[in-house]
Amino acid sequence: MTNNVSSKIKNISTLQYKEKEFEYWGPTPDEARKKMVNKSHALKDKRVTLKEAVAAHVKDGINLGIGGFVNTRVPVAIIHEIIRHGGRDLTLSFQSNSICPELLAGAMVLDPDRLSIKRVELAWWGYEIIGIAPLVRYLATNGMIEMDDYTNYGMSARFKAASMGIPFIPVRDHGGSDMELVNRGKMIECPFTGKNIYLLPACHPDVGIVHTTAADMYGNARIFGAYCTCPEIAMAATSTIMTTEKIISTDSIRSYPNLTEIPYPVVDTVTEQPYGSYPGASYGYYWFDMDHMKMFRSLCDDFRKTGNKEGLKKYYDEYIFSCETYDDFLEKVGYKNLKKLKDMDGGQSIILT
Amino acid sequence: MSEYTPFEMIAYTGSRVLEDERIVFVGTGLPIIAAMHAQLTHAPNLYMIYEAGSLAPILEMGMPLSVGDTRAARKACYLKGLCGAFELTQRGCADYAFIGGAQVDMYGNICSTIEGNNYDKPGIRFPGSGGAGAMAANCEKTIAIMALEKRRFVKKLDFVTSIGFGDGSPDYREKAGVLGSGPYRVITNQALFGFDEETKRMMLLEVKPGRTPQEIQDLVDFDLIIPPDVKEMAEPTDEDLRLLRDVIDAEGYFLKRVIKK
Repeated sequence: MTNNVSSKIKNISTLQYKEKEFEYWGPTPDEARKKMVNKSHALKDKRVTLKEAVAAHVKDGINLGIGGFVNTRVPVAIIHEIIRHGGRDLTLSFQSNSICPELLAGAMVLDPDRLSIKRVELAWWGYEIIGIAPLVRYLATNGMIEMDDYTNYGMSARFKAASMGIPFIPVRDHGGSDMELVNRGKMIECPFTGKNIYLLPACHPDVGIVHTTAADMYGNARIFGAYCTCPEIAMAATSTIMTTEKIISTDSIRSYPNLTEIPYPVVDTVTEQPYGSYPGASYGYYWFDMDHMKMFRSLCDDFRKTGNKEGLKKYYDEYIFSCETYDDFLEKVGYKNLKKLKDMDGGQSIILT
Repeated sequence: MSEYTPFEMIAYTGSRVLEDERIVFVGTGLPIIAAMHAQLTHAPNLYMIYEAGSLAPILEMGMPLSVGDTRAARKACYLKGLCGAFELTQRGCADYAFIGGAQVDMYGNICSTIEGNNYDKPGIRFPGSGGAGAMAANCEKTIAIMALEKRRFVKKLDFVTSIGFGDGSPDYREKAGVLGSGPYRVITNQALFGFDEETKRMMLLEVKPGRTPQEIQDLVDFDLIIPPDVKEMAEPTDEDLRLLRDVIDAEGYFLKRVIKK
């Protein structure tokens, strides 16, 4: 973005890009504030089925904020339901993710009239040890989606700013890299130190999707293991759909209120969904299923290399469209597989009482 | 002396570069292996920070397969989220950034976003910055692992993802608003590079035994600074290889990878 103050980023690389006018890719800070104020702030039972949650909140053209980090506590059950429900011209916002955006991208490859991604604000899209994500490579290199690049901290700080109700946040990264040129941040001179400082706009998703370790029926949620950026995303979004491994009592929440990482007013729906991050990992419950990820990834890569959608289509038909619920999918994955992943977690310590 | 692979040499060299009583912000794969090796040998008081949110974990369940792996959170001293990890780094608690990339230039700037310089329709789209851009900006010193090839050690990047010394001007990083002192080492299996304090340009420090500085220069597309006192890289001992192969990456997830041409 054009800056009032220039860092020295000029002519360091051969990069070519189109200069963009600034716009929010989701609710503005004022719109997000208004939506939060207008919600009921009562403690009320928010338990619904995932089908009801997604039908109520996911619409064409929304900004979808995706929780988790790479393969950890990724909200896969909600993604499956969104694919069944459909949604066009989506904007995706996340820091680093693997199978969630790839599943959405695969749905777009198969039927763009049902689901399509318009643009993505992100830090990273891949599988780490398992390999690159074939479908982001396919969509981006064919110019089918618009990308807006930040660092992992940048995206996290943008959600954090939104969660704090402030319109931007100063950060000590992006400056001097080409992200300064292509993304929607802005370099200014700090009014106090007189030195250059990079500002990032708050990121308010229309809908935040997160999977948590435990929550009560009102949406007060605990997270064990790395928080990733789930608390910030839930608080930044104008609506938050949550799945949780286990619904726990409000007595327990009130006994240890310090453990609540996501407070109930920012949560719209809660659904108990054991294994809700599978094939991702959920600390204290199960490790990630590398074999399933590899299998799905190889189907995506086959499509990227050959243009043949058959393998992908079979996966979606078998594991998503022929399933009414995520439990139907888990039944196909099978108890033995799930048990193995539970053992591989190694009983990491979590507090449920 | 036993035979060792290129990945083992990189991991061993990465370990050598890390000092004790420091915190290293690690990326997936060889950086984690290098840091674990350092902890087991010369740097028992070296600790890791993982960007998903954990500080100083005890990796008793084995090597984490990614920086978001739940195993990286095991018995940490402090466990928050990405904001927690990166804000500690902005504050000055992370001494080393340990990152990789697709291309590096003579000032230690690194590309991991695209290949082909059209941002809106690139030749190849890579995963993106991830944590690397923030680590290179705000850890005190940046260590990069690269494959030593002419197409990777380039005169000009397609995209600057992780800031190095920019165009080499002395105030580049200050004008960019970043905090760390910048590029420190670039590690390959055949050479170890540092940076000249005055010109900020990449400088050859060590070569693999049997290699000459000219052979290294031939694999780099820009002019290296080659001082008269280039040293030989230390090679891993049998005990180092035992630690790498049998203790740290016993399943061979990273060290036994086959290099694709």
